[in-house]
Amino acid sequence: MTAVSFQPSVASQQEVVLRADGLSKRFGGLLAVQNVTFTQYSGEILAVIGPNGAGKTTLLNLLSGVYRPTAGRLHLLGRDVTGESMEARCHAGLGRAFQIVRPFPEMTVHENVTVGALFGKAGVSLPEARERAYDLLERTGLAAHAEKAAHELTLLQDKRLEVARALATQPRVLLLDEVMAGLRPAEAQEAVQLVRSVQGSGVSVLFIEHIMPVVRDLADRVVVMDQGQVLAEGTYREVTANPQVVAAYLGTEEGLHA
Amino acid sequence: MSRAMETSRTVTRRPDFTARALVPLGLFFGLALVFPFLPLGTRAEYLLQIAFFTLVAAILALSWDILARSGQVSLAHAAFYGLGAYGFALLGKVMPWFAAMPLAALIAGLVSLILGAVTLRLSGMYFAIATLAFTEVVRTIIQNLPESVAGGANGLLVPALLGGNARAQYFLAFGVLLFTALVSLAIRRSRLHHAFAAIRQGEETARVLGVSVVRYKLAAFFISSFLAALGGVLFAGKTFFINPLETFSLANSIAPLTTSIFGGLYTTLGPMLGATVLRVAEELLHNSVKNGYLVVYGLVLMLTILWLPRGLMGLLRRGKHGGEL
Repeated sequence: MTAVSFQPSVASQQEVVLRADGLSKRFGGLLAVQNVTFTQYSGEILAVIGPNGAGKTTLLNLLSGVYRPTAGRLHLLGRDVTGESMEARCHAGLGRAFQIVRPFPEMTVHENVTVGALFGKAGVSLPEARERAYDLLERTGLAAHAEKAAHELTLLQDKRLEVARALATQPRVLLLDEVMAGLRPAEAQEAVQLVRSVQGSGVSVLFIEHIMPVVRDLADRVVVMDQGQVLAEGTYREVTANPQVVAAYLGTEEGLHA
Repeated sequence: MSRAMETSRTVTRRPDFTARALVPLGLFFGLALVFPFLPLGTRAEYLLQIAFFTLVAAILALSWDILARSGQVSLAHAAFYGLGAYGFALLGKVMPWFAAMPLAALIAGLVSLILGAVTLRLSGMYFAIATLAFTEVVRTIIQNLPESVAGGANGLLVPALLGGNARAQYFLAFGVLLFTALVSLAIRRSRLHHAFAAIRQGEETARVLGVSVVRYKLAAFFISSFLAALGGVLFAGKTFFINPLETFSLANSIAPLTTSIFGGLYTTLGPMLGATVLRVAEELLHNSVKNGYLVVYGLVLMLTILWLPRGLMGLLRRGKHGGEL
């Protein structure tokens, strides 16, 4: 096991926030994720792309603690969290927004965010959590919908809620699972702005995405997965120029630049 | 970097709830408090007894609802009610009632942690069946203890509460229901409310947001069972005599469930209202329809649930969301 090390003299941009070491997950005979290793630095937006079935969502589930890995280690902010529960990872600084939005249906929008603020970190009182939730609704453009039931929101608003709720837990790293899925192009642009503003507030973002222009606009670095393994890693330009990626990921040159 | 979201409007910050929401609850307790002093005529004794068991039914329903708020739809309420009854029957012989009562409740609360721990990973139907089986296990154990200890299948005598004074017993039940309601309100105002609601509406999402699900589920079990056992103490101390079959009956587990649904789930007033209306309706029907009153009773229950999906509280609430107690 490699210890995570970073020198305090190095700029905070070089701080390792997330480090996966040989993560693997086996479901019966299927090796869904195989020996995945990558490092994410503070303030970085990291994209994970790959064709359907490449193991992206399984990887995200390994990172957030839904699954325990069959092999490998995961470090969050220098701490080994491999064996820790979802709630412990949340307390340690990991936030997650789901691909399929999962608002608490009987709560108002504000109550939804309050849950994240209240339980995401120890020692937050209920009045503080409620205040922070209101602040976040203003920041994420949901101010006008605070007292609506979560099920009354549009899909874009639901995605905003999903992000607002995850941010309420005060994460250092935010995992986003295809937040653009189902959005119209104009809405996707707004969502891109939202992710940018998340990064601007000092949170590192790791996201899974299918829509290549979004990856190009957002990602500082891209990890390409195929059949459970990391196929390539680099800037958007580097990975899209990689013939292996082109062949495995979309098959055709046109597809990649669509 | 310009950001679209910074141009958005500010939000009106509302309090969690206002004191106005407490008014119906205050009315309920006000009426319950003066009830024994009303000119009830020759049937006063009978009416006071019905009122007593209405309060006990309200305690059971409200305590069941507290557990249900955390998404745990239990059919083990009779077990904790019964543990309270048996605990008091045994402890009441060796200590004063005011010591036996909380001690019996504490025992039930601790036993509930066992069930809570075992059923942590179960949900829905599987959870319900496990809790039902648990009730049977508790009943069987009590029934098979030596007769000299717990009376076996025949049951045992219980020391009369407060010397059998009906009015004093009524006010004790009133006090326990008030205590139960205050606990329920305290939960509503605390982080427990948010944890319970989050777990109920999406357990995995709650975990991802940092909710320590195990801790809160067990807390719900302990609080709920403690309060249910207090109801069991009242029942046992009133009836002088308890036996395993009736005390741990399925009806005692189902009644709090139907009562809470009828009155309004996840509220403080709802289960209390439900208990009152259903108890009174049951008594009236029993006296007027005689045979087959249960059929009418069942019909009323069914129709209400069909037409009022949020129970009686659905009639009372103005706002659609939030703020309710």
